[in-house]
Amino acid sequence: MTLFTKNDCRLCDQLKKSFDLAAMGVAVEVLDGSNAAALAHLAWHGLVETARKTLPLLVLDDSSTVADFRHIEEHLLRRAAQYGVAATAAGRGAEACVSGSCAL
Amino acid sequence: MPLKAEGKGGLESSVHREDSTDIALFVRTSQEDMLDWDRQRIVDALLRETLIDRDTAERISIEVEEIIQSGKVKTVTGPLIREMVNAKLLEMGLEEARRMHTRLGVPLYDVDQLLVQHNKENANVPHGPEATNLTLAEGIKKEYALLHVFSPDVADGHLRGDIHMHDLGFIDRPYCSGQSLEYIKKFGLNLPHALSKAKPARHADVLLAHMIKFAAALQSHFAGAIGWDAVNLFYAPYLEELSDREVKQLAQMLIYEFSQQAVARGGQAIFSDINIYWEVPKHFEAVPAIGPGGEYTGKTYAEYEKQAQRFAWALFEVYKEGDATGKPFFFPKPLVHITEKFFRTEGHLEFLHHICDVAGDKGNTYFVFDRGETAKISECCRLSFKLEATDFEDAKEPWRMRYSALQNITVNLPRLAYLAKGDDTRLFTLLTERIQLAVKGHEQKKKFIERLMALGEGGPLSLLAMKLDGQEYLRLHRCSYLIGMVGLNEMVKVHVGDELHQSEAAMKFGLKVIAHMNIVCKKMAESTGMKFVLEQTPAESTAYRFAKLDMAHFRADAEPVVQGNRDRGEVYYTNSTLFHVGAPVNPIARVEREGLFHPLIEAGSITHLWLGEAHPDKKALADFVINVFRHTQNDQLAFSPEFTACLDCGRTTRGLHDTCSHCGSTHVDGITRITGYFTKVSSWNKGKLGELAERYRNQGQFAN
Ligand SMILES: [Zn+2]
Repeated sequence: MTLFTKNDCRLCDQLKKSFDLAAMGVAVEVLDGSNAAALAHLAWHGLVETARKTLPLLVLDDSSTVADFRHIEEHLLRRAAQYGVAATAAGRGAEACVSGSCAL
Repeated sequence: MPLKAEGKGGLESSVHREDSTDIALFVRTSQEDMLDWDRQRIVDALLRETLIDRDTAERISIEVEEIIQSGKVKTVTGPLIREMVNAKLLEMGLEEARRMHTRLGVPLYDVDQLLVQHNKENANVPHGPEATNLTLAEGIKKEYALLHVFSPDVADGHLRGDIHMHDLGFIDRPYCSGQSLEYIKKFGLNLPHALSKAKPARHADVLLAHMIKFAAALQSHFAGAIGWDAVNLFYAPYLEELSDREVKQLAQMLIYEFSQQAVARGGQAIFSDINIYWEVPKHFEAVPAIGPGGEYTGKTYAEYEKQAQRFAWALFEVYKEGDATGKPFFFPKPLVHITEKFFRTEGHLEFLHHICDVAGDKGNTYFVFDRGETAKISECCRLSFKLEATDFEDAKEPWRMRYSALQNITVNLPRLAYLAKGDDTRLFTLLTERIQLAVKGHEQKKKFIERLMALGEGGPLSLLAMKLDGQEYLRLHRCSYLIGMVGLNEMVKVHVGDELHQSEAAMKFGLKVIAHMNIVCKKMAESTGMKFVLEQTPAESTAYRFAKLDMAHFRADAEPVVQGNRDRGEVYYTNSTLFHVGAPVNPIARVEREGLFHPLIEAGSITHLWLGEAHPDKKALADFVINVFRHTQNDQLAFSPEFTACLDCGRTTRGLHDTCSHCGSTHVDGITRITGYFTKVSSWNKGKLGELAERYRNQGQFAN
């Protein structure tokens, strides 16, 4: 499972706060404008155009992609339960994305 | 016999020795005047052209005069005197002065060869007196660019083959241009310094005449392609009164006029592209339409959908028929935009079948995929300008819409792998350095063009400086600067061990290289304020040039990976980020996997599918195209069949053959796509011939 994020992205930060991603075995790729490996990984999944519209993006182990924030949380909650890691989703409490910041 | 001379009173003059013991030398100047030998002219030229002091100049002139007077030289020419002076400058260690004093010119032998033999650097340049004028001028301008426009490090980078600066022979022009018909619809044909000015056209055929002339004028101010946006839509307000037969006639005229423009620059057909939409693009829906006489018609473009479709349909009927002998038209290239709205527009499936029929039969159709909210204008072999917020603002007054890339510089990727010797850090460091060198080249070309543009309508780029809508035609602050790549496939093969299509590791590393290039371009754009974007270089001659240079200078490294036939010297690197042309990859896998690179290459990418003799069914191709739009990231797609044209009986047959299947003649020429456009195989350079032999033909891959 890979979570594609960006540093100045509120929704990405929200997920990083809510979940202990490392403990859940979720790889985090940070698209910080100088990380070619992360960008190439994004391109490998065919997600560059999607990321230009929205971030974060979650790529599941079967290579399918989840772009909707609420659905990402649901997947991560399930994953947390599987790994026995405590987590609380922000759900509707998540701060809305300021235009442009939650995208590549 | 006295030879040619240059500037008035300058050094470039020629002298003739009447007698080896007589020093009465005659000098012929460019004023077509015979003057006596005068040492002073050497001094004057040195003081005018270089920064050396008078005493040194005097000394050099005396020493040169002594050699001439020594009587060893029978005929003294202007260029010879200049070279003698240059030799003296070098003897004195005055290398910078020598550089400034350089004479640009062409050896006699080369001119003789050129006048007689065909120049194959660009297959779109025919052979003839106009073409040799073009080539000679290009040769001198190229030398000028490398000596005078670019700094020595940039010029050396080009000459060594680390990078390739495209169209150096057109140093005094931007690279290419995309625009809207609305400009001539609104302002008429109103070019600076023209002998006459024409008011906005009242009839469709006059608009066509204006379009052709404007395209020719633009061709003489840009190095490369001239593209037109939404051509069928912008013609639509002129078509309401025309019958279907008349619309077809207009379509024929448009295509024949562009395909027979062999009377333009250097006898070279205009590299022309027409963007076509079945739907009315969203950004033009509410725009007031301009019609006959440059007047608003009172309707919006949304109301011209049917007329625009009628014209689009007719254009493809003409493409389907081909020329008088059934050959495909080489230009203008039709680029059809496939968008979400396309699929919501009535009649789209019939139109898709129609253009797929042309794609399978003649190959002309380019499919341009604009997914989501993306809109772009495409031209050249694959270049596209993605519309941004300011462009959508311009779209409200579409005559403002014009796009230009000022220059294109390509990086030789395989060479980086030879130098890196398996070390990732070294490879990415070198890649960054090459991009920085390209950026420097771009800055220098920009500065040079700015200097010419500053001369305004009285300068050499008057057409680009005209301000009919308040802004210069060439909006320098909006230009793009292209950074291209050649041979990702071979680079990856050297560095990782596999070609791109051979392993996941190779693909992933290839993506990392292009992601790195994308990121460095963005950073350079931020620090310079110039829009650096990646483009898949068409590399019609660059793929050959890099391979040839690497075979000469990195032979041990290059020999195992260079593509083509080494014995015949038909070597090449794979274009841009494409898979090896001969890789036996099925078409959908090729489109999908090559397409993974496309979102990182923002100024345009394409996948070519070579058809050979295959003649796929239009419905099968349409399904394929829909699949590509829905399920891949691929940016543009073209299918390329092959043909044999008989030069004796004039018939055209499918496939590349040595003899004509009708009359048995061996006097035949092949026709297929070289990079972006169709052309005669006999005009191809050696690298491209090597590639042609290796192309994987998708026979039986689509239902026939
Ligand atoms: Zn024949």
